[in-house]
Amino acid sequence: MTDAGAKADDAGVDSDRRKFLTIATAATAAVGAAFAATPFVASWQLSERAKALGAPVSVDLSKLEIGQMITVVWRKQPIYIFKRSHAVVAELVRNDASLKDPKSAESDQPAYATNEQRSRRDDLAVLIATCTHLGCLPKQHFEPGDVELGADWPGGFRCPCHGSRFDMAGRVFNGSPASVNLKVPPYSFPTDSTLLIGDDESAAQGAA
Amino acid sequence: MASNDAQFKPGFWGWLNKRLPVESFFREQLLEYYAPKNFNVWYFFGSLALLALVMQLFTGIFLTMFYKVGDTTSFDSVEFIRREISYGWLIQYLHSVGASAFFVVVYLHMYRAMMYGSYKSPRELLWLFGMFIYLALMAEAFMGYVLPWGNMSYWAAQVIINLFSTIPVIGPGLVEWIRGDYGVADATLNRFFSLHVVAIPLILLLLVALHLVALRQSGSNNPDGIEIKERRGSDGKPLDGIPFHPYYTVKDVVGVGVFLLLFAVVVFFVPTFGGLFMEEANFEPANPLSTPEPIAPSWYFTPYYAILRAVPNQRLGALLLLMAVLLFFFLPWLDRSPVKSVRYRGWWYRGFLAVFTVSFLTLMYLGLKPATGAYVTAARVSAIGYFAFFLLMPLYSRWDRVKPVPERVSFHA
Amino acid sequence: MRKSALLALALLFSPLVLAAEGEGAGAPLDWEHWQAGNEVSNTASLQRGARNFFNYCAGCHSLKYLRYSRMAADLKISTDQLKANLLPAGAAPADYVRASMAPEDALAWFGKEPPDLSLIARSRGPDRNYQFLKTFYLDPSRPNRSNNLLVSNPAMPAVLSDLEGVKEAVFRNVEVTVDGKVTTEKRFDHFVTVVPGQLNDAQFDDFVRDTVNFLDYAGEPSQVDRRSIGVWVVLFLLVFTWFAWLLKKEYWKDVH
Repeated sequence: MTDAGAKADDAGVDSDRRKFLTIATAATAAVGAAFAATPFVASWQLSERAKALGAPVSVDLSKLEIGQMITVVWRKQPIYIFKRSHAVVAELVRNDASLKDPKSAESDQPAYATNEQRSRRDDLAVLIATCTHLGCLPKQHFEPGDVELGADWPGGFRCPCHGSRFDMAGRVFNGSPASVNLKVPPYSFPTDSTLLIGDDESAAQGAA
Repeated sequence: MASNDAQFKPGFWGWLNKRLPVESFFREQLLEYYAPKNFNVWYFFGSLALLALVMQLFTGIFLTMFYKVGDTTSFDSVEFIRREISYGWLIQYLHSVGASAFFVVVYLHMYRAMMYGSYKSPRELLWLFGMFIYLALMAEAFMGYVLPWGNMSYWAAQVIINLFSTIPVIGPGLVEWIRGDYGVADATLNRFFSLHVVAIPLILLLLVALHLVALRQSGSNNPDGIEIKERRGSDGKPLDGIPFHPYYTVKDVVGVGVFLLLFAVVVFFVPTFGGLFMEEANFEPANPLSTPEPIAPSWYFTPYYAILRAVPNQRLGALLLLMAVLLFFFLPWLDRSPVKSVRYRGWWYRGFLAVFTVSFLTLMYLGLKPATGAYVTAARVSAIGYFAFFLLMPLYSRWDRVKPVPERVSFHA
Repeated sequence: MRKSALLALALLFSPLVLAAEGEGAGAPLDWEHWQAGNEVSNTASLQRGARNFFNYCAGCHSLKYLRYSRMAADLKISTDQLKANLLPAGAAPADYVRASMAPEDALAWFGKEPPDLSLIARSRGPDRNYQFLKTFYLDPSRPNRSNNLLVSNPAMPAVLSDLEGVKEAVFRNVEVTVDGKVTTEKRFDHFVTVVPGQLNDAQFDDFVRDTVNFLDYAGEPSQVDRRSIGVWVVLFLLVFTWFAWLLKKEYWKDVH
């Protein structure tokens, strides 16, 4: 080759082989890139520490009075825990007509909380206090006929961000921007006066 | 050219190319960029250095997501990454082994340039940009080494920063300013983190871009040291050149494969490389009250470290260390030979290059050994060999009896 | 793997590596070259090592980077077994392994806080862990009546002596020439067992090896995964490089 040392010599080129090898190499490289990406994608998963910190949270109920609410944090989410009187629980059914989903058919709760009072134990409500609209913290308005919410307000929660309203079982009222009831976390009662959030299978289940 | 110009093509491709010269860029940089056809194995290390840089940036970005800088948190967070992040151990090893791999590749890349005279005219600036990359890389590696806040990290910072104390007058004040405390401390760690993660990578990227632009301007040198642009065919293309794509792209992919293979063997089977890539002492947290024994820098700094220790005077030692690094910058002007490649140089140059090679490797080994007895003597002899290569170059490169350089590169298909 | 890397390096850099072979009669006990010879992939050994650790070490030493739950999963210890045998009262499975003793008590009793052992196999190497645990000897001059060949005057007492027995060290005076001057130096020669322990030599050796193996695991819990993934990565890269090589050869047929 005198003049064309630099040029492709078309004679004797097996273009099928070239095409095959190009595809084979490129495909192997693509598979390799996918494998190489795996550890980096996986590194964003919950770390062992995050999982350990997400362990069930134990709450002492012995000092919780009727009508009182406490907030605990479980898995970085605020959890409302409040004790309702028999009267309040009995009244819940009267909200049904003005609720979007009174039977909690669409909302996210454990099977044992898929009932009128949305709880495992009648008196005690345990709700994830994250508004199902856009994630703000609903504010407590337990007094019926609240000044802000009008005379026919039966008591419940109102979200300060966009005005979604929920009843004393965390069910969303008609006319709210939110369309789903507040979530209920898994929980159980290892003893009558202890609540374990995040574990629905601890020993004694308390008085149902 | 206009007829097949991409911007006149129909559809999205034409639309895009009218606004952004994608096709012409790749055509000019890959298809119409003619590289000498006689590259040998030494020519893999340029593209591999680029690969190493990209890998370090990528793994570094991920490590930064989990690392917590601070004298009470750094060490724990590195252990946290290794143990509690999914594949954190892999990302961490890729980064720490990657640092050593980067230096392996860069040293071979530099040595290639020295063998084939790639620093000589018209590639002086290309060489200088490369040398600045080397300097930035050393700073990057040193500061990165401090971040795990192991005991070696701490004492490496202590020793290296103290080198600045040898500067007359301003030395002591400068050292305190660099540390930001009365000793190496949280403040030092924090500023090194910022420099390692943000400032120096930006500088490196800029320098690499300049290095590549300068490379494209003068074109690659080759093992024969012949300018292929000076022999063109009737079509105006260099007779000894071949289009970068596909010939060198497919060739470099083979280089990448072999490199990754060796790299993977180290990462998965010997990630600490017997203490050479990750020292045992760095698995103990920083302890200002206990210097690890033996104390040695990372292997890629040991030649300079051995020179430093070979000199029984603090200021002179530091000065020679600085000189040992900076002399590389002056190679284009120290070398007075009319030929580039070692292939056509005479025995003077070959002899001195051999002396340099042996001296550098010996110093590298000695830097890992204690500074006692015969080791110090050997380091002094090697240091003399090292400096002689540079300082006597204006003389011996002129005396050298060079061979005639052929007009065309030697190539055997 | 670590050993082979060291060996390769030693061969590369030092022409003076001599095989230490054949301890002839009268040669001193070559404890400095003892190797742990542990295998982190041996789960049964790790389980025994964990048991040893919790019985003999965890009183004073923590493993502050290792969770009980992680250890149980890696060592194939069931949650029930973990809770029944290894987990201290009041600790959750996801807790890090703590020492039973309060650090301030340890400081008062030993004059030094017992170090955390999470990384001891990485900072010292399993071989030296092994040498340390096997070279305790009786030394009445010391407050805790024991000494060690690897770490002289350790704050740690000979906690394994009920298993190993009590050994006395026999030293020998050796003439050494330093800078032309001949001096005598006390050098260790061998051990003599004065009180036998519950285990014979081979059993104690296994005990120490299992314990060191567990510490090796604790230093890098992902190392078994690392090696097994590595095999696949290397095989994959071989295929990739082979394809790339064929492609390169095919294209370079053009270049003459």
